[in-house]
Amino acid sequence: MSRLRHTAGEIFRWPLWLGVLTVVGLASALLGNDGWDVLSWVALAIPLAVLGWKASRAT
Amino acid sequence: MTARSVKWWSLVHKWTSLVCTLFLLMLCVTGLPLIFHDEIDDFFKTETSARDLPADSPQAPLGKLIDAAKARYPQRYVQVLNWDDDRANVVNVFLSEMAESPPGKRFLKLSFDSRTAELIGEDTQEGGLMRAIRIFHRDMFLGLPGELFLGVMGLLFVTAIVSGVVLYAPFMRRLEFGAVRRAAAARIKWLDLHNLIGAVTLVWVTAVGVTGIINTISLPLFTAWRAQVMPELIAPHLGKPPLAKLADIDEAVATALRALGGNVPASIVLPTQARFGTPRHLIVWTKGSTPITSRLFTPAMLDAETGKLVDARGLPWYLRMLQVSRPLHFGDYGGLPLKIIWALLDLATIIVLASGVYLWLGKRKSLRRVAQVPGQPGVVATSGASS
Repeated sequence: MSRLRHTAGEIFRWPLWLGVLTVVGLASALLGNDGWDVLSWVALAIPLAVLGWKASRAT
Repeated sequence: MTARSVKWWSLVHKWTSLVCTLFLLMLCVTGLPLIFHDEIDDFFKTETSARDLPADSPQAPLGKLIDAAKARYPQRYVQVLNWDDDRANVVNVFLSEMAESPPGKRFLKLSFDSRTAELIGEDTQEGGLMRAIRIFHRDMFLGLPGELFLGVMGLLFVTAIVSGVVLYAPFMRRLEFGAVRRAAAARIKWLDLHNLIGAVTLVWVTAVGVTGIINTISLPLFTAWRAQVMPELIAPHLGKPPLAKLADIDEAVATALRALGGNVPASIVLPTQARFGTPRHLIVWTKGSTPITSRLFTPAMLDAETGKLVDARGLPWYLRMLQVSRPLHFGDYGGLPLKIIWALLDLATIIVLASGVYLWLGKRKSLRRVAQVPGQPGVVATSGASS
């Protein structure tokens, strides 16, 4: 745990980028098939992977 | 943020969450099998495919399929034809028992090979666990009131999400993203997990929540559209004798496709007393042929006797919004991997909801203890907000 007080920018930086990835993932599968679908899977899998990585350190 | 506004947002988060959580848990749990309903249906029900014929085999006239369906079930009413989404060269004909079918009553579905006009399947579409789960997910077996009620729960859920985002900042003031503290109290760990999972799933859960809310008002939206277009469509036919003959269906489809260039036919609604059609028209529903426009359906209305085009205006924006919101809610637009991602995010949402309840239940008991743990951010003690 850091002793520093984070700014709003620091606090929301990760959620923001993961949110952008989610938007890309949700939209790309709508826009096309094949490559667009793969982009969607990758973009949506990254937030899940980050979640798994961070949560696994809890136990 | 001042301590006072944290307190206010905490109250908003607590109460909006408390009211909707039970229903949201139900939606997440019933939604999980629904994500895979295509795969589950395929597993339990084997639908016959059309025969292998040379690719240039001509299509049989649609009128022939209607005649075959009528000959098989003379007492029934042919309501709708559709081109099967999953099976090439299969056209389904839907028949009702009554001219105006009561809501919830399923149509008998006859599947035909669209080239040979031979009957390849018959399905009453009755019963089934998946159908019950779908209806419970939609309206808890309460019809439109249940559906609208779930829409209100969805609005509360979105409010809970917004207030959760606002509260995320003071909670994370001294924490790194994703930090999960192994504190003495399990409560601290679950608070951190609640915040972590909530932050990661935020955009997805908002997208599925908002599109779900839009889906709950689909029936009122269609009713509004119907009220808008019906008087004009029906006016020329008022006081006229009942329909004497039916126009050639294939010509009607060709006329519709000429009017809506580039689209492909999806289904045809025959003249009907039912609310999805009109007694005097053929409605040819068409869809676009690119991945994104294939979700956008546009109807062409044709005079049922003459087959002349009456109207092929696009749909109003609110029905377009409804059409786009469907795939974003169901997650059925990017193959099986997308469905698996949908399921994982759904499970993550269940953890957020359940941990929220856990934090609220455990709050009174542990609040004092948490406040006394040295070095914890004071806000944890003052707000207890994530419950």
